[in-house]
Amino acid sequence: MEDQLKGYRGKAKEFLKKHKINIWDIIALKTKKTKLEGILLPRYEHSAPNLIEIKLENNYNIGININEITEIAKIGKREAKYKIPEKTFPKNDLLPRVKLLGTGGTVASRLDYTTGAVIPSFTPGELFSSVPELAEICNLECELVFEILSENMKPEYWQKLADKVKQAANSGIEGVIIGHGTDTMSITSAALSFMLKDLSIPVVLVGSQRSSDRPSSDAALNLINAATVATSDIAEVVVTMLGSPSHDYGLIHRGTLVRKMHSSVRDTFRTINDIPLGMVRNRQIKMFKKDYRKKDKLETIALTKFEKKIAIIYSYPGVEDELIDFYIDNGYKGIVLAGTGLGHVSTNIYKSIERATQEGLTILMTTQTLHGFVGMDVYSTGRELQNLGVIPGKNLLPEVAYVKLGWVLGQTNDKKQIKELLLLNIAGEFIEREIPIAFNYNIDELLEKGKL
Amino acid sequence: MEHFDYESLGLKCGLEIHQQLDTEKKLFCRCPTVLQGTREPDFTIKRYMRPVLGEMGTFDKAMLTEYEKGMNIVYEGYNDVICTYELDDTPPFSCNEEARKIALQIALLVNANIIEEMHVCRKNYLDGSVPSGFQRTMILGTDGYITLESGKKIRIDILSLEEEAARRIKTENKTNYFRLDRLGIPLIEVTTKPDISHPDECKECAERIGLLFWSTKVKKVLGSIRQDVNVSIKSGTRIEIKGVQKLSWIPLLINNEISRQIKLIEIKNELAKRKISSDNITEDFTDLSETIKNLKSNFISQGLKSGKKLYGINFKGFKGVFGKELMKNYRFGTEVSSKVKILTGLKGIIHSDEDLENYGFSKEETEKFSKFLKSNPNDCFVLVLGIEKNVNKAIKVIIKRVKNAFEGVPPETRKALEDGTTEFLRELHGGARLYPDTDSKAIINKSSEIEEIKNILPRYPWEVIKEYSKKYNTEERMIKELIFDGNLALFEKLIKIYPENPTIIFTTLLETTTALRRDGKDIAIISDQDYMELFQELKYKNIGKEAIEEIMATKADFPDLSIKQIKEKLDIESISTEELEKIIRKILEKNIHIIKEREIRALGPLMGEIMKEVRGKIDGAIVSKELKNQLEKKLKELK
Repeated sequence: MEDQLKGYRGKAKEFLKKHKINIWDIIALKTKKTKLEGILLPRYEHSAPNLIEIKLENNYNIGININEITEIAKIGKREAKYKIPEKTFPKNDLLPRVKLLGTGGTVASRLDYTTGAVIPSFTPGELFSSVPELAEICNLECELVFEILSENMKPEYWQKLADKVKQAANSGIEGVIIGHGTDTMSITSAALSFMLKDLSIPVVLVGSQRSSDRPSSDAALNLINAATVATSDIAEVVVTMLGSPSHDYGLIHRGTLVRKMHSSVRDTFRTINDIPLGMVRNRQIKMFKKDYRKKDKLETIALTKFEKKIAIIYSYPGVEDELIDFYIDNGYKGIVLAGTGLGHVSTNIYKSIERATQEGLTILMTTQTLHGFVGMDVYSTGRELQNLGVIPGKNLLPEVAYVKLGWVLGQTNDKKQIKELLLLNIAGEFIEREIPIAFNYNIDELLEKGKL
Repeated sequence: MEHFDYESLGLKCGLEIHQQLDTEKKLFCRCPTVLQGTREPDFTIKRYMRPVLGEMGTFDKAMLTEYEKGMNIVYEGYNDVICTYELDDTPPFSCNEEARKIALQIALLVNANIIEEMHVCRKNYLDGSVPSGFQRTMILGTDGYITLESGKKIRIDILSLEEEAARRIKTENKTNYFRLDRLGIPLIEVTTKPDISHPDECKECAERIGLLFWSTKVKKVLGSIRQDVNVSIKSGTRIEIKGVQKLSWIPLLINNEISRQIKLIEIKNELAKRKISSDNITEDFTDLSETIKNLKSNFISQGLKSGKKLYGINFKGFKGVFGKELMKNYRFGTEVSSKVKILTGLKGIIHSDEDLENYGFSKEETEKFSKFLKSNPNDCFVLVLGIEKNVNKAIKVIIKRVKNAFEGVPPETRKALEDGTTEFLRELHGGARLYPDTDSKAIINKSSEIEEIKNILPRYPWEVIKEYSKKYNTEERMIKELIFDGNLALFEKLIKIYPENPTIIFTTLLETTTALRRDGKDIAIISDQDYMELFQELKYKNIGKEAIEEIMATKADFPDLSIKQIKEKLDIESISTEELEKIIRKILEKNIHIIKEREIRALGPLMGEIMKEVRGKIDGAIVSKELKNQLEKKLKELK
C-alpha cells in the first residue's frame, strides 16, 4: 500500500496524523490570513519541513506552513481516475514488422496533472494513441524488457537486450527499435554493436531529450524517425536522434562512433571522428556514407560474454599510483585510460602501470580529446607507455574502448588474442582515415551547400 | 453606446491583468529583458507542438483544436540576447530574485495573503507562443483586494508570477513566426473575482490596478500591460475577452458582449418557440460542385475551376437566425463565419439570410440552390467554398456552432477588436493543462523578507494623484498621465529642483514630449539626468523656458552632447535686464511709426519682434512686462 503521508516528516507529519489527514484527501483549512481548499499532495523527501503541500482548485500547487494553520478538516477524497486510451494498433500486411524493446525511457507517455508524474505509454495501442504516424510505417510489437534509468544500465542488461534482438532478427522481425534513456544510450549502442555478430536487421536506439509529457517533446519525431530507419536496409546498431535544434531531421549515427555531447540540447548526439551514416527526414532516408552493413539473410548471433572487472581512469595532473593499485589489488582484469592529448598520462603512475601489465591487466589507451587518434609514437612518453604494455586504442572513444575491452576479455583469456581482437575493427569502431570535416561538421550547412 | 439595466441583467465582470516587470534579467534564465524591435534575427529554428495526453487519457479540447490547425512554428532569435533556455534546450535556472521581490511588493499593495512556499507550475499552450509548449507560472498571493473611489472593494483572487510569451511576428503559409526576445520576461498576473457589476466600474478597476503596477518597478512601455475581461450575465455564460489594449475600450466591449449574450439567448428562446431542437439539426451536407456549373458569381466559378469544392447545408426552421444582429455589424452568421475562419483558414461562409445578389448570384441560381438543398422558405442554407479537406472541416464547425445555438451562449475565449466588438479566439481550456514543473525546486518567501518589503511600500497612486493635483494646482488627469508615462518619479525630482513653476514641468513632461515625438524625435534618449540639468539651467536663469523644447529636440538629434554643450551650440546666453531694456529701446525707436499708428495695440507686433532676438535667453513674461512699461512711457512722451 502506498505510504499515506509520503514524503512528510517531523512536525508536518505529526500534524497531519493528528488531524487524520492523508495524501489525496481534499482538505479545507484556515490560516491566520485566509481560507484555502485543496488536495493534500505527497511531498519530496528533501523539501522544507513544517510545510504541507496542496493542489488548489485552480490546479496550482502551493506549500503552507503548519504554524499558520488555525483549522483544518478533511472534506473529501480525490478519486483515482486513470484511464488508458483503448485503441488498437492497426495492422497492415503490406508494412514490415518492427519490434520496440523498452528499457525504461519514455518515448511516449501520459501525464498525471496532479503530481506532474509521467506515466509511460507502452503498449502498441497506447503508442498509437500518442504517435498515430507509427501505424503508417510499420506493424509494431512491443516488449518491455526492463524498466530502469539509463544511468543504472549494466552489462547484464546489454546481454539481455542482445539476446532479445537475436531472437527478433531470427524470427522474421524486420527491425528493432530500442527505447533508451539518452545518458548511456551510446554505451549500450556500442555494447550491442560488439555483441551482435552477423546482424541481419536494423537495430535503432532512440530516446528523447525533452520528455514526452511536454508539447515540445522531440520524442514523437525521434520515434517516427527511428521506425523509418528500423524499416530500412541498414543492418547495424545505430542511434537515431534529432540532428539540429529544429524538429526537422534525425541523424543516423553508427553505434560505435556516437556520443552524447551536450547535457540538454535536442541535437546532443554526434558522430565523433567521422560524419553520421545518414539522415532521416519526412520518413525518407538519405545516406551520407556508403560503407554500411546491409540487410542479409545470415543468422544473427549474440556473443554476449562480458568481463565486468574493468574500469575507466581519467588522467589528471597529480594522478597517483594508488589509483591504479586499487584496481590491481581488487582483481580487475583491464583498464581503459583516458589520457591527455595523443595518449599520455603523468609519469607519476608509470610504476603502477608497469605493475598492472606485469600482473596480467590489459591497459588500453584513449584520448580525452575524443576527437583524433592517439599517437603514441610521437613523443618518448608515448613510446615508453607502449613499452610498459599499454595498447594504443587508435580513435576509440573512452566509453567505447571500455565496452570493447570488457567484451574482448569476455571472449578470450589469451594475451595475444586479446591484443589482436582489441585492434581488429569489429563493428566499425575504427576509422582508417579521418576526413577533415569530421571534427566540426555542420550538417545544416553541408546540406545547404549540397555537400552531403 | 447602448446602455443596459446592469443590475437586473446580473452583470458580473472580472479582470485578468498582465504586467511585465522591469528586471534586468529574465525570470528563469539570465538573458536581458530588452526587446529587439525590428532588428533582423540571427537564426531561426523550426518546431512542432503535439498535444499531450492528460491524466484521463484524453486531450485537452483547446489544445487539440490548436493542433488540428496544423500550424508550423518558426522561432527567431539573436545570438547575443537569447540562450538555449529560451529554445527549450536547457532546464530553467533559479527564479529571478529581483522579479520575485517586485511581485511581492505588488502582492502586498493589493493586500494579498503571500504564499510561503511557491511551486512552479506549467501551463500548456500549443499555439507556439512558448517553445516548451508551456508557460512556467507560480501563485505568489491569494485573497487580496483593491478599493475603488466609491469605497467598494473588488476582491483579488490570485496573483501569479510567470514568464512572458514570445512575440508573434507574422503568420505565413500555415507557419506562425515568433521572436524569442520577449519570451521569459517576468510577468505578474492579477486576477480579480467577478465582483464588478458595471462597465464603468470595470474600467476604473482596471485603471487602478494599472496605476498600482506603474507605481512599482515595472516596464512602462506600450504593450507591457495587457488586460483580459470576463463578462457574464444571468442565463448567459462567462466569456473571456482577451487582449484589451486600451482602458477606454472596456465599457464598449462589455456592452457589446452583453448585447451578444442577450441576443444569443433570444435565439435560443426563438428556436424553442419554433419547436426545433438540436436533434433536428441535420449532419447531411450536399456537394454542389458538380451540380451547379456556369454560375454568374465569379469567385465561386473561379474557385470551382481551380478544384475547390462548394458544399451546402440546410438548417430547417432557421430562417432569420443567421441574419440576426448580435452586436453592431455582427450577425449570428458572422459568429459562425468567424469561427470557420479561425479553425479552418477559409474566408468564411455564405448564408441565405444575406442578400445573395451581393455575391453575384442571380435569383434563379439562388432558387436552384434552394431546390438542391431542399431548403424551404422557413429554412436557412449555408454555402462554403474551399479545398475538400477544409470544407469538410468547416461543415463540422458550422454544424457544431448551430447546435450550440440551442444552449444560448457557448463558452469560449474571444478576442477584443478595435471597434469594440469581439471575435472567436479559441475553445476554452479545460482545467487539465496546469501541472507541476518537475524541473524546478519550490521557492520560499521568508516572512522576514515580506516584513522588509512591507515597510517600504509606495503610497497608493490614487492618493498621490489627489495630493499632487491639490498641491501643484493642476488637474488629476495630469498626474495620472505622468504615472502612465512612467514619469512621476522624474516629476518629483524636477519639482525639487524647480519648485517655482510646476506648470512648466507638467508642460515639458506631458506636452513638449508629445509634440517632439510627433515630430519624429527619439526623446527616449533624454535621460532623467538631462531633464534635471535642464531645469537647473532654468532655475539659475541660464535659459528661458522658451528654450526647453529646442534643447530637447537637439538632445534627441545629438544624444552625445550634454545639456550645457547644447546650450552653447544653440548660442543660448541669458541676457540681463539692462541688456533687455537696451534691446527694447532699440526696437521701439525702430518701429516708432507703428507705435504712433497703433498706440498700445502695438504691443503684440513689438513683442514678436523682440522675442525674435531674445527667445530662450530670458523669460517671456519678463520681456512682456518690461516692454509694456517702456511702451507706456513712450506713448506718454509722444503725447
